[in-house]
Amino acid sequence: MVLDIRNQAAIVGIGVSPFGRFLPASQLALGATAFKAALEDAGLERRDVDGLSIHLGWPVGIDYDRVAEAFELEIGYVNQTWLHGRFVTQSLQHAALAVATGLASVVACVTAVSFTREREILGGPGDHEGAREEGGTHGEAPVYGLTAPAGGAALAMQRYMARYGATSAELAAVPIALRKHALQNPLAMMKKPLTLDDHQGARMVVDPLRLFDCCLVSDGAAVVLVTTLERARDLKQHPVAITSMQGIRAGRDEFIFAPPGLGINQQPSRPAATPRAADLEVFRRAEVDPKDIAGFYTYDAFSPLVLFALERFGFCAAGEAAQWVQGGRIEPGGELPVNTSGGLLSEAHVGGWNSICEIARQLRGGAGPRQLTDAQHLLWGTAWGDAVLFSRG
Amino acid sequence: MNYAKPLPRISPDNQEFWAGCRRHELLLPFCDACGKPHLPPGPVCPFCFADRLDWRRASGRGVVTSWTVVHKPWFPAFKAELPYNVIQVELAEGPRLTANLVGAANEVLRVGLPVEIVFDDVAPEVTLPRFRPTSLSPPGRGSG
Repeated sequence: MVLDIRNQAAIVGIGVSPFGRFLPASQLALGATAFKAALEDAGLERRDVDGLSIHLGWPVGIDYDRVAEAFELEIGYVNQTWLHGRFVTQSLQHAALAVATGLASVVACVTAVSFTREREILGGPGDHEGAREEGGTHGEAPVYGLTAPAGGAALAMQRYMARYGATSAELAAVPIALRKHALQNPLAMMKKPLTLDDHQGARMVVDPLRLFDCCLVSDGAAVVLVTTLERARDLKQHPVAITSMQGIRAGRDEFIFAPPGLGINQQPSRPAATPRAADLEVFRRAEVDPKDIAGFYTYDAFSPLVLFALERFGFCAAGEAAQWVQGGRIEPGGELPVNTSGGLLSEAHVGGWNSICEIARQLRGGAGPRQLTDAQHLLWGTAWGDAVLFSRG
Repeated sequence: MNYAKPLPRISPDNQEFWAGCRRHELLLPFCDACGKPHLPPGPVCPFCFADRLDWRRASGRGVVTSWTVVHKPWFPAFKAELPYNVIQVELAEGPRLTANLVGAANEVLRVGLPVEIVFDDVAPEVTLPRFRPTSLSPPGRGSG
């Protein structure tokens, strides 16, 4: 019999460290702060945690065995991924699958990173991704001077702009909206408003991406505790149910930072076809209408990724996202607020886990001044197509 | 000669490609079974999964499908050339290559720009393919 993943698992505890640049604390120290906060939040003890799912391990973060040793845990289930943001969803999904199948009873999703101390690896001679035998996954071409994930996002956005007529000034609506969310979040690193003039006047990094189209390079940790929904109902916090999910997309149609069919790397260039049925499975499985999603959360390492994710999940038609995000639509109080704690662009880059924590706060009703009204369902979904739909349990 | 920029990673699957560049020939792996060429070079045809690949010369012509201009000094060895371009080119045969546009200012970069290959011997053992706008060459003459 196939296990039905719907409503099997829930988030029962969240914890974060302070976020900042060049923090004096080690990755492990940041992780310990977040771990303690998550246990306290959940009303659980260290001995209750028997699984670890580590996103962003070496070379920017800590590995599972060191976490288990340093925090004196007795672990019997581990999942670990490296460096890439694209593994955030599957790190959470592994936790849900492990508790749903009984491989673990409580899985701690631990992300503890120092991007500032390890920044040499994020681009240039220290970026080993493009030098791998099969090359990097973001279109890296170090031989020609193209390095860092930003390069792939730039290639995709440039072609998207040529195909649809989108502009840099339209793209600016994404970081401007996320900054407005961040200004309502005391944990966020960015404290000043961002204007269109600020965006357009900022230095070009890799055309068409300007400074504020690129996420923060920061240090910090976040821990999310996952157990079964059944057990969650007996714990301290209102459960945040994992109502449904869908996996990452890969294949010839996919380039990590481009919509299907755009024609980056070896993607066939086709008339836009999103949303596709396969990208909307998460709604169908949950039996939740996309119109009932009160807020959308996505991996916003670069502002174009927000546009591509909105299109993939059908919130707007292919090619229309740059116009769709105008007029405050994804801002506080908008039709579909996006990354309400500020995201990677304005809160901090904790691999997206800052946004996962925010989802939990919102569904518990504890998001303070930025609390969404009637938040029953929230969607986490990325430009590369994986998703988790959360509901107030 | 001291070439400080990153060099191609030569692998068992792509060594024919780079050996061809050294001779100023653009070679692509064509599938013996379905006839399609592919990039980046793999061990089997990615379309039909057949094993036999035949490295044959390609036209060296194509169009720019995307481009960027790098402004950030990520590589010390590229610093003197900032801001420099990187392009993706869809070859007439179908697969795409990432390279640079040469022989023209960054201002001419656009999706759809017709280009043709040129070969740049950057080090004693390494030749990089780059592209220039097709219109720069006399009619009827290719290069490489």
